[in-house]
Amino acid sequence: MSKRIIVSAAFVGIVIVVVILFTSLQASWVSSNEYAMERLIASQQPPVNLENGSPALGSESAPVTIVEFGDYQCEACYHWFHNTRSTLIDNYIDTGKAKLVFIDLPFLGRDSPKAAQASYCAEDQGKYWEYHAILYTFQNGPPDSGWADRDRLNSFAFSLDMDIDEFNDCMDSSKYKIRVKANYDEAVKNGAQSTPTFIIISQDGMTKQFSGAQPYSVFAATIEPML
Amino acid sequence: MFIPLSILSEFLFIEPFFVYHVVEDMTISFVLIISISFMSAIVIPMNVYRVRTLQKSRTKISGSVIGAIIGASAGICSCGPIGFSIISTFGPVAGAATAFLTNYEIPLRLASLGLLCLVYYSTIKSISVECKIQ
Repeated sequence: MSKRIIVSAAFVGIVIVVVILFTSLQASWVSSNEYAMERLIASQQPPVNLENGSPALGSESAPVTIVEFGDYQCEACYHWFHNTRSTLIDNYIDTGKAKLVFIDLPFLGRDSPKAAQASYCAEDQGKYWEYHAILYTFQNGPPDSGWADRDRLNSFAFSLDMDIDEFNDCMDSSKYKIRVKANYDEAVKNGAQSTPTFIIISQDGMTKQFSGAQPYSVFAATIEPML
Repeated sequence: MFIPLSILSEFLFIEPFFVYHVVEDMTISFVLIISISFMSAIVIPMNVYRVRTLQKSRTKISGSVIGAIIGASAGICSCGPIGFSIISTFGPVAGAATAFLTNYEIPLRLASLGLLCLVYYSTIKSISVECKIQ
């Protein structure tokens, strides 16, 4: 009986190892034929709708677009922001090879959509990316713990020397509520089921999607073939 | 146990490449995952042996399984696919629950480790007492 268990366990272990190896090898085998086929398929599919997303970070003419679906209360998004984003900006965005667009997927709590709306209110005053950075810098505690409540959102705006009256008018009128909802719907439509989720779009429409606070090397390995 | 825990805690990624990545801030969490996986791998088979071979009570095996489940549940990223599914289905209450698991990840994993160590100790004692060479 114990021999049977050992043999079964060994078989299961071998299957798991083979599946993992196969998956990783398959992902890295991007032959010219597969790439061409992906390009053909991608050209027939509409890209992600970016019109309700953030203003692009980087050159509008950059050949590669990095779309990030994120939630300002997401811990993994925080880790990606602090550990990977800056290197990506230095090597791809500042060099004109890629641009970054952030699309909200606010699902973690009631403060998530408010933080997203606040970022667009900041965009009205030309400070979207500064506000975006301050939200991920001062993320502190679990969702809806109060770090992103209305008072804190106002204080972030104040620290960026924004017009507080204009900011309050924007927030009180829920001016960007529909935009944030549209972003949420777009994220779900594109299969985002966690945050952060990334879709890398090449100039010819080929897309590569993955999720999680993945290291810079993954982005480099994905973007380089697209350049 | 180690692989599923790593996937749930978003240390191990399979798409687009097979990547294992531990962020500096999450070192403690990573060490706890290794410890829980190690202890579970020892304690659960020992108790399976106790129950099947020695025909003893299942209390200790349930303790080891509970310890493993607590260790696995703590730290499930609320922004991961499981958290997203739960929150989308059950709303703010589920969000609070997953946030609790994330926020108290380290204490929960330490409790799980403690439980597994306790079960290990009592299992060792039990096996050494109950095993008799005829």
